[in-house]
Amino acid sequence: MTGPGASPPSDRAIPASAGIGLRFQHHEAVLRDRPRIGWMEVHSENYMGGGVPLRCLDAIRRDYSVSLHGVALSLGSADGLDSAHLDRLAALTQRIEPGLVSEHLAWSVVDGTYLADLLPLPMTEEALEVVCRNVDIAQARLRRRILVENPSSYLRYRHATIPEWVFLAEVSRRTGCGLLCDVNNIYVSACNHGFDAAAYLAALPVAAVAEIHLAGHTRRDLGEGRSIRIDDHGSPVRAEVWALYEAALARFGRVPTLIEWDNDIPPLPILLAEAGKAERRLAKAGEARHADAA
Amino acid sequence: MPTLREIQRGFRDSLLDSGREAIAGAIAGDEIAAVDRLCIHRNTMRSVLTGSLRLSYPAVDRLVGGDFFDMAAARFIRTHPPVSGCLDDYGEAFAAFLQAMPETAGLPYLGDVARYEWALTRAAHAEDRAALDLMALGDIAPALHDGLRFMPHPSVSLLDLDYPADAIADAVMAGADDAMAGIAVSSGPVRLVVDRAGDGVRSERLEADAFRFLQALFGGQTLGALAAWGDSDVARYLAEQFTKGRLAGFTTEPAASLSGSLS
Repeated sequence: MTGPGASPPSDRAIPASAGIGLRFQHHEAVLRDRPRIGWMEVHSENYMGGGVPLRCLDAIRRDYSVSLHGVALSLGSADGLDSAHLDRLAALTQRIEPGLVSEHLAWSVVDGTYLADLLPLPMTEEALEVVCRNVDIAQARLRRRILVENPSSYLRYRHATIPEWVFLAEVSRRTGCGLLCDVNNIYVSACNHGFDAAAYLAALPVAAVAEIHLAGHTRRDLGEGRSIRIDDHGSPVRAEVWALYEAALARFGRVPTLIEWDNDIPPLPILLAEAGKAERRLAKAGEARHADAA
Repeated sequence: MPTLREIQRGFRDSLLDSGREAIAGAIAGDEIAAVDRLCIHRNTMRSVLTGSLRLSYPAVDRLVGGDFFDMAAARFIRTHPPVSGCLDDYGEAFAAFLQAMPETAGLPYLGDVARYEWALTRAAHAEDRAALDLMALGDIAPALHDGLRFMPHPSVSLLDLDYPADAIADAVMAGADDAMAGIAVSSGPVRLVVDRAGDGVRSERLEADAFRFLQALFGGQTLGALAAWGDSDVARYLAEQFTKGRLAGFTTEPAASLSGSLS
């Protein structure tokens, strides 16, 4: 893995290696131990105030490349974006100079109420236009390309007309945004809705995919032979998701890959070990590409 | 075909009130009913927001117990959903909400403890702002001195409470089973100034005169009006706010538009 000392602080690019989602519980350990990890990603909203969290992020940013991952910009809001929220994100982006900035293909705000979840969009032409308009506004305000992440999904609307993978590819084509391919989310949604996860990967434009997410999920038994997968980020990455990740690497090549762990957060060494599993697969993907080229 | 806005309003209604399920008709159902699929999102929303409130109100959580806290939070979320995607901002109204709940009548100090904890939360997360340096006033023409008005640091809250909420919260958070036994709950009102100093949040009890001065100072009264109190402690009170970094700016403009988030 790339050691933090290997990159000068001014090099803000996210390396094509494994990173970890940094949560408050690990601030102290990271600042004390300076673990060898390629990069870190934080939730933008956790650093929109001042005080200790922001000072910790400043300190971490001096030694590591950092990515900002937002959960509340609500790219799918029919009302448009909350300009105050976008201003706060712009201020944070200016301060941290992140290597990547990402948001979700989802909505969470309506009539000024924030519903604290990444809520599903109907995959319609109207929603496509709304998302593209909001991505355009966000990219203009932030003066940079953002990545849009595929969500995990538990329901579909009757009037949806566009497959999610087509929708995402079209958002990228129209706005120039990149894509954050959450492999766990694809797996969860494929199980919940019965589509082919490999076909989803195959439909994403290779050049647009600039980051991959991995996380754990649970299978909730609903009785009578029914079950649903819940993307709860509270456990190690499942074997089936590792397999899909290998397929993603075969298609997209070496892409910065993040381990997300947000519930039942383990000690830092366990999180780093999970990132190590991704790093080994990334290395293999690099070797395979090298062999292909030779 | 419903518009996107209609879908989003219907979804909101369902998340905030499980009895309002009109949106279910727009959701494809199969062996798992649409209402059960919606429930996944409702549970996530409640879990995230309850967790956010619990982080801001740890002493309240201990005072009322986890189950009651969950129930109170669920009711609060339904009537007071967040208006900002930044959850550090969420929950200011929880103190008044708790106090108004019939079930908390036996804990008359609960609202004050919550107000105190909100001030701590606000101080911890307030935006960074450099403290005003006394030297910055050196260039002000003497003729303008009487019209000077000061702005508090964004982390500052003033609390005028009927109960010793600071002592109650400290005792509860210390974790002893008999923590409340040593607290004279009815020992009378306390006046507090809460703010952030360096990396730490600070709470200080004030005497009535000092508290009244800070209310006037942070409420936008001019230096001339403050001086006219004729109190010999005024100069000391003012100097103390500089040394403690509780002032973030000043103006000589007459407009009475200083932002007031002080309770």
